[in-house]
Amino acid sequence: MIFREVEDRDLIAQARQGDVEAYNLLVSRWEKRIFNYLLRLVSNREDALDISQETFLKAYQNLRKLDDPARFSAWLFRIAHNEAFSLLRRRKPESELSEPRPRDFGGRLLPIELSLAVESAFKVLSEDQREAVLLKVYQGFKFNEMAEILEIPVSTVKSRLYTALDLLKATLAPAVFRKDGGMAQ
Amino acid sequence: MSCKLEDRRPDWKSYALGELDARARQEAESHVAACADCQDELAGLRVTLDAMATLREEELPRRIAFVSDKVFEPRWYEKLAQAFLRPSFAAAGLIAAAILIHAFVRPVGAPNTTTAQVDTRAIEARVTADVTARLQNQMAASVDTAVNAAVTKAVAETEKRDDHRTALLLSASERRYSDAADFLNKQVTRIYALNTGAGVR
Repeated sequence: MIFREVEDRDLIAQARQGDVEAYNLLVSRWEKRIFNYLLRLVSNREDALDISQETFLKAYQNLRKLDDPARFSAWLFRIAHNEAFSLLRRRKPESELSEPRPRDFGGRLLPIELSLAVESAFKVLSEDQREAVLLKVYQGFKFNEMAEILEIPVSTVKSRLYTALDLLKATLAPAVFRKDGGMAQ
Repeated sequence: MSCKLEDRRPDWKSYALGELDARARQEAESHVAACADCQDELAGLRVTLDAMATLREEELPRRIAFVSDKVFEPRWYEKLAQAFLRPSFAAAGLIAAAILIHAFVRPVGAPNTTTAQVDTRAIEARVTADVTARLQNQMAASVDTAVNAAVTKAVAETEKRDDHRTALLLSASERRYSDAADFLNKQVTRIYALNTGAGVR
């Protein structure tokens, strides 16, 4: 864990008393994680940035409603989740028209290609599955925190995540497993 | 070969994702050491997770800023309260109140002597001079504030334009990077296909 001179909870307390600079510091600590989570979820940089902005704005406006400052990250991701799915729901008819298909990444891949293969493999996942992977694998939340963010039971969290991992494993298999049975480096 | 534990085999996904408690983790590790089937499953999961770790984290095209956001400006009643609490405003108010009190509280039946008239004029002159000086100071301060606000606004606009320009440049660079990656991928795929005789895709 990275040492922080001032803890988030102190900044939250200051921000609640109207200290905008304290809130700005909180934003600078969390903006990259929120942006990347949203970017993978909505697959558009400008949308991800707009929703990030909206997320931090709503968080500021509702900071007094946060009961436990120790749960700030889950609470912040909950807001981001709501904002993202609000956009995705508005876009649904459009996204249903274009069915994303994973690219063919047969053979061994270079690291940069592997990264592209992973990006492509994400497209086989549903939004719910993709979000479960993002929260667990890329944001490091525990199952119970994910359940809190997504407002679903832990069993549903596990179900979504496990299905997503099976799909990713199958999709990435040609790229990460060598034909001789070994694994690509 | 299949795992002898069958349905009771360890939850390898939870294991790989760091969700098992210490005891379950230890049991799983003891089991996997002697079970080829579970070794395969765990290895497959690890390779998939390693592949996922190659996905790079992206930088924000521009910072999220709040200080200049209108939503954080004080509301009208807060501005009004702040204006009344400003020292120069309060001082001017006190002087005005003193003049009014002086005008109304002067004894009605008091002899209107020459000395008394001279004193009143002198006091009013002093008060007027004082108020005028304070108003001039306040006006100068207001001008300073307005100038500072204009400069701040101009700087903010310039920064906004610069941010926009940077975002455009970044976006163009990313497009070039994406095109290059696509081209590279096609080339590698083609070379691989040629080498393996699988045909050109």
